[in-house]
Amino acid sequence: MPDNGRKPETVALTIDGREVVVPKGTSLLQAAAGAGIEVPHYCYHPGLSAPAQCRVCLVEVEGAPKLQPSCVTVAQDGQVVRTDSDEALEMRKGVFEFYLVNHPLDCPICDMSGECKLQDYVFAEGREHGRAHEPKRVFGRDDFGGDVLYYGDRCVMCTRCVRFMEEVAGDPRLTVVERGSRAVIDTFFDQGLEGASFAGNVVDICPVGALVSKEFLHKARAWDLDHTPSVCAGCSQGCNVELHTRDNLVQRLKPRENQEVNGHWMCDYGRESYEWINRPGRLESPQAGRGSRRKPTDWRDVLGRLHARLQELRGAEVIVIGSPLWPNEGLAALDALAQAAGQVSRRVFRSPRAQDEDPLPGFPLLIRRRDLAPNVDGAGLLGFDRDGSDVGEGGLDGVAAHDGILLVLGDELRDQSEEFGASAALFVYLGTHDSPAAANADFVLPVTNFAEQEGTFVNAQGRVQRFQQALRPPGTARPAWLVLGALAAALAGNGPPPSRADGAFAALVAAHPAFAGLDYDVLGVAGAPLADAGAATAAAAGQRAP
Amino acid sequence: MSEAPFRNPGWAGNTGEFDLAEAEVRGDSYVGERPLDGGHPGASPSLPYMLVKKDPSAPLFEGPYQERLDKILDRYPTSRAALLPVLNMAQELRGHVSPGTMDEVASLLDLGRAYVRGVATFYTMYNKRPVGRFLVQVCTNISCNLCGADEVLAAFLDHTGTELGETSADGNFTVVEAECLAACGFPTCVQINSRYFEDVGADDVTAIIERLKAETGDARL
Ligand code: SF4
Ligand code: SF4
Ligand code: FES
Repeated sequence: MPDNGRKPETVALTIDGREVVVPKGTSLLQAAAGAGIEVPHYCYHPGLSAPAQCRVCLVEVEGAPKLQPSCVTVAQDGQVVRTDSDEALEMRKGVFEFYLVNHPLDCPICDMSGECKLQDYVFAEGREHGRAHEPKRVFGRDDFGGDVLYYGDRCVMCTRCVRFMEEVAGDPRLTVVERGSRAVIDTFFDQGLEGASFAGNVVDICPVGALVSKEFLHKARAWDLDHTPSVCAGCSQGCNVELHTRDNLVQRLKPRENQEVNGHWMCDYGRESYEWINRPGRLESPQAGRGSRRKPTDWRDVLGRLHARLQELRGAEVIVIGSPLWPNEGLAALDALAQAAGQVSRRVFRSPRAQDEDPLPGFPLLIRRRDLAPNVDGAGLLGFDRDGSDVGEGGLDGVAAHDGILLVLGDELRDQSEEFGASAALFVYLGTHDSPAAANADFVLPVTNFAEQEGTFVNAQGRVQRFQQALRPPGTARPAWLVLGALAAALAGNGPPPSRADGAFAALVAAHPAFAGLDYDVLGVAGAPLADAGAATAAAAGQRAP
Repeated sequence: MSEAPFRNPGWAGNTGEFDLAEAEVRGDSYVGERPLDGGHPGASPSLPYMLVKKDPSAPLFEGPYQERLDKILDRYPTSRAALLPVLNMAQELRGHVSPGTMDEVASLLDLGRAYVRGVATFYTMYNKRPVGRFLVQVCTNISCNLCGADEVLAAFLDHTGTELGETSADGNFTVVEAECLAACGFPTCVQINSRYFEDVGADDVTAIIERLKAETGDARL
């Protein structure tokens, strides 16, 4: 490097014989991770401070008198680091042996088994057999309240949970009580974690099975779960998550890192609101006919008849009721069909709103938003107006007397009577579940929920976020964009409808300038902001104003 | 050592630019009762304050204690740093640090109460539950153990009629084991309240209890 008097912005070093170039200030642990070398670590977590107290990340640095904790040792130019030298391995082996002195090794009944860092590290680097003969001390378990259960015997005292509550949640409720082998994590006596709305994250960051989720307790083994990149549907923040599924059911949500949206975290409300995805009693096949004349049929038949009926009614007044639980593609196709069918007089959605927001102090980008649906902003951009109350009911003025076309997607109309849509010339109900208020529907079409398809949401920051398909749809349920896109294309006579989610997204981008310039592939799993995210969210906010 | 002025003089040694006399930092008037033996002159520097009658419901930090508290707080850059001496003083007043005391101290110092609990439980010298009038701590670490600490401990338990860690029925004695009391040259070392008894053998225990009786004028011991 030429010596021009300025400090280099990067440093070059050797880790395990590999040349690594990292930005100045990078820790050895991060530098090694970048080169694909995982150095064990407990107390270090990328979202927290690094106290260097667990000592499992010791590595050999040439010229240093003793092993260095790689989590806090800053990479230097020309440094030669060995993470796997005999001395480092021997030392770490000893450290792990100490960790096991009092560890219960109850892996068979431990929820963390299979994704536990003590298991992994000891398997990779530890001793084959323990040498401790003394009985282990026993603490049992402690219910911290909220969703969190603490197994003191399994704790490795990394204090990640303590630091999360203090540094990120801004609510220092956890602490280390006592010391040495008697040390446990606890709150102030029986205060607990009740009411701490981000406390569920301590379960994620606990490297072992000491903090576990009560809700998930003994529900599934880690190795039986499939992980699908997705987006939390709890509110319009749209935290990036993984859906963990087994037996075609969502078993739990885990946050997925996205520094633009949620960091490493998510809120407890979102984490716990997934049961609706698994709700049984699904519509499995298309049905046609009002009330007692209703008959199950198949897609070919139902689409043919629906198309014919739309042709007959061409030019009629159309009222569209959408739902911000549905992705952009479905809502855009709903809008496209309505436009092709007639004169759209109203496009509305109803959705619950919380009383207030709930920000995460240590990661200010993450706010549990008031809108308790993932795509309120997308719906706004696609021309849908909010209707009804803050519990997502009421509104829909004039729908009762409407005698044109009524299209409903995703709104289960729980607050509406069996008379709903009685006077409509054509009432099409697309949903996941049948509803008493759908009795007058001429066509009931089973569609997939967001977890059963891929697609995009727009979050409150004006960020378009893509999620993947995690579940198999029930019966012959299809994504709304596929059904509606086919009808709209047939009606408008403008070429073949999209047959894949990327095509549906492209069609939406072409039809809605707010999405201009976005590419489905480029969105990846991290999403991308709308070209004019600020203006877009402002516009959406304007539309949302009561 | 450099000439840089001390930012925090503490109360031992160099008082730096602040030029404070020790008495100004510690407070110059004793508060409470004198220790039972009147205080050994050689020990007085390590015993900055006298012992008070312990009352678990005593108000914290009133009158002269408020003054002491202010001095303690002045001495440290942050209230967190003052936590140990403040807990100390609370224990001096109340005899032990109860959950309620931890809570009061936490709000006084504007610290998380869980954190205060963590600190209070880290140190064995804070009593987390009420102890007897005399807290008998028998060192059972190596030197003392080699010289009969186990027998001394058994003798104390015997004479006071209590279980290890429990308080005798009359409320006079709590007997516990202690790790090294730093008097390895004089085993067995026993600390009773803030006083050291050194070279204690099992057969000295009766005499020690007699002495406590005489000093306190309390025949019930
Ligand atoms: S409970 Fe888990 S996160 Fe907390 S200190 Fe123990 S091992 Fe670490
Ligand atoms: S803040 Fe919103 S998006 Fe994030 S986890 Fe909570 S409910 Fe889900
Ligand atoms: S990760 Fe480095 S000491 Fe804990």
